[in-house]
Amino acid sequence: MNLTKLGMACALTLGMMTTAALAEYPDRPVNMIIPYGAGGATDISARAIAEALTEAAGTPMVMSNVTGAGGATGSVAVQNAKGDGYTMLFARVGSHTVNPAMKATLPYTLDDFRFVTVYEINPVVCAVTPASGITSMDDLIAKINEGGVSYSSSGVGSLLQLAAVMVMKEFGIGNPLEATVHIPQKGGGAAATAVLNGTVTFICTNSSALAGFVANGQLTPLLVTTPERLNGFDAPTAAELGKPALEQLVGWTGIAGPASLTDDVATKWGEWMATAVQDEKFLAVMEKAGSVIELMSPEEAKAFIDGQYQTFRKLVDDLGMRIEG
Amino acid sequence: MSFIDNLMMGLSMVANVGSFLALGTGVAVGVFAGAIPGMSATMAVALTLPFTFALQPITGILLLLGVYKGGIFGGSIPAILIKTPGTPASSATVLDGYPLAEMGQAGKALGMALWASCTADLISNLALILFAGFLASFALSFGPPEFFTLMLFSLTIIAGVSGESLLRGALSAMLGLLLATVGLDLIYGTNRFTFGNANLMGGLNFIAVLIGLFAIPEIIAMVWNPKVFDGQKRSMGKSWVSFADYRRCFKSIVRGSFIGVFLGAIPGIGAAPSAFLSYSEARRTSPNRDKFGKGELEGVAAAEAGNNGVAGATLIPLLALGIPGDVITAIIIGAFMIHGLQPGPMMFILNADIIYALFIGLIVSSVFLFFIGSVAIHGFKYVADIPRGVLFPAVLVLCIFGVFAVNNSIFDVGVMFAMGWVGYFMLRYRIPAAPFLIAFILGPLLEDNFRQAMLMSGSSPVILFRGPITWFFWALTVITVFAIIRAGIKATRRQGPLKVESQT
Repeated sequence: MNLTKLGMACALTLGMMTTAALAEYPDRPVNMIIPYGAGGATDISARAIAEALTEAAGTPMVMSNVTGAGGATGSVAVQNAKGDGYTMLFARVGSHTVNPAMKATLPYTLDDFRFVTVYEINPVVCAVTPASGITSMDDLIAKINEGGVSYSSSGVGSLLQLAAVMVMKEFGIGNPLEATVHIPQKGGGAAATAVLNGTVTFICTNSSALAGFVANGQLTPLLVTTPERLNGFDAPTAAELGKPALEQLVGWTGIAGPASLTDDVATKWGEWMATAVQDEKFLAVMEKAGSVIELMSPEEAKAFIDGQYQTFRKLVDDLGMRIEG
Repeated sequence: MSFIDNLMMGLSMVANVGSFLALGTGVAVGVFAGAIPGMSATMAVALTLPFTFALQPITGILLLLGVYKGGIFGGSIPAILIKTPGTPASSATVLDGYPLAEMGQAGKALGMALWASCTADLISNLALILFAGFLASFALSFGPPEFFTLMLFSLTIIAGVSGESLLRGALSAMLGLLLATVGLDLIYGTNRFTFGNANLMGGLNFIAVLIGLFAIPEIIAMVWNPKVFDGQKRSMGKSWVSFADYRRCFKSIVRGSFIGVFLGAIPGIGAAPSAFLSYSEARRTSPNRDKFGKGELEGVAAAEAGNNGVAGATLIPLLALGIPGDVITAIIIGAFMIHGLQPGPMMFILNADIIYALFIGLIVSSVFLFFIGSVAIHGFKYVADIPRGVLFPAVLVLCIFGVFAVNNSIFDVGVMFAMGWVGYFMLRYRIPAAPFLIAFILGPLLEDNFRQAMLMSGSSPVILFRGPITWFFWALTVITVFAIIRAGIKATRRQGPLKVESQT
């Protein structure tokens, strides 16, 4: 990284000296902020598309992980950046719909960002261990009504927490917050471990996080939120179980700039992404992670994110889950 | 397929130039990256990940493992030479490594670090190969209550690294615990001590605190009083570790390796606590315990055995259960998934050849580490010969650069300098820095697991005594605390009459 940075700094100075003020975007490397840690779903997705993007844009994309506070630290870095298109963010469901819906003290809102696209959708899967004796959603709901059921998440204000609550609410649990116990963990890996070692009863998270455990028979999937059945997951869809509203419950990765991002830049990004998502290497990596590639225009992306935010916000307000402190 | 078949298949996958090249490159990159302050093993692995996308699965994973192992050892080089742990895991190495370098025995300390690292690495790899199944089921029996008791016991390490005064050590630990509370509350998601600053929401950056606490105070001290250091340099001497030294420390190395293996097999602990635990155990049982912290070779050996013992063992939950034990293994799991491999029990059946290939590669990596590490030591040891007036400004630049690079945040650089002043005053008032660091690492783990356990049980403390593992750690804690109190009373008795005599 040090060398890359040095190179970037040199290129930057060089770029400033040689080009006029009105040079066409992009005339220097673009700094891409990944608000989550290395090896996570966002990071893998971002690094998989980096190469194709660099080719499409004709300028280096410098990837940097700015982590902390459930994606908030990295998001703030872009919120405060200039809208010249040289600092962009890999926005994720956690940082841009769940967090804004749940946290009153979050230093940003959705209006602080301009989305250029959403390119990847991850369905959500709910799962339990085979040792729990639960084999269907009905079993799980019956168990919840008996009491003593808990679920894990990667932290307060994460998709995992909201997903579990939303699923329970849809399946007729009046107040999921009282019926079950939420045991937050530090990160997605720890959340999956908590189910495996029996600390909690179930987990609802992105299919990519559970694919390995399901393939190995360590976890039993109960529900997927895709319209059709998901490869590798022997579980009914939300629609089959009569809860089509749960199809709103998906993870996604998109690209955003600060609100002041200019139209030129947004148009450029639309073109680059259209080329980049065709890249075979990128598609192969994403397919293995269980993601669906769906390139949205800026308008579609905004409508999609706003829609999910409204759904989440309503759920949070109905149950009084908003964190004020 | 039989064991032999799998072994042969695995051998055929590893025994080619590409794999060995990947492993060698990985170890070299890791040692080098680890040796740069602020460039941790985690960052090195994260940066290598994209390069593995295009490689064969086994080659790519061996490359990452090489970087990981090299990085953990590489961190000890700056820890010994310039009092700056290259990775968090080597913070315990500073305690005795730097005093040794001050005494002109840097070569000896570095050599011992390498030998201890390689021995521990080998033991850890063998544990992975032979006991993966057993240790994996052991790891799965660690829920929040077990974690809590383990962390409680680990906090007793503080007594071992407090130096002359337990009170000063406790003060330092309290400060560490306090600063560790900054950030988001895990259970409620509310802000704690963030003062409305978004930069503080993620808590204080660990690398920034680490470097601020160890390296910056030395630099401030030199700026404060440059005359003392004028033109001073430490000679390497011809010191090199001897086989007799190795044999003397062998028991501590093996003990440290096993501590590393057990803590490494449990997801979520990491290498730094293991290094400290190994160090404090070595000190407790050593006949020269008074020399610990003042330049005792055995301390370096124990610390390095403790952190490298983790390296092979973290692969146990990864391969046997598909669970990442720390950030580094989370990245490696990412690499597995990119190649369509799903670590877990089925992998031992479906992709047994890859598992065996990895095992063989790991064993080879210990050998690579030994040779590449030796070369690196011979290259880096001349750092000790650089006059301080030249060395320290260079170290300062590296520190700023490294801390900035962790999160691309200028705020972190500010944290480093603020911690540097804290560290400087701690140095002046002889408050040891190690307890601060241990508390800073263990405090959040202790708190989070306690609160998770309370959530599980509906706030009934009985859950903290729920099984043999918790009983075991409770017993260890009670015994250790008792021993500390007894030693304290003895020391006071010995000193008591002396003081009276000196007054008369």
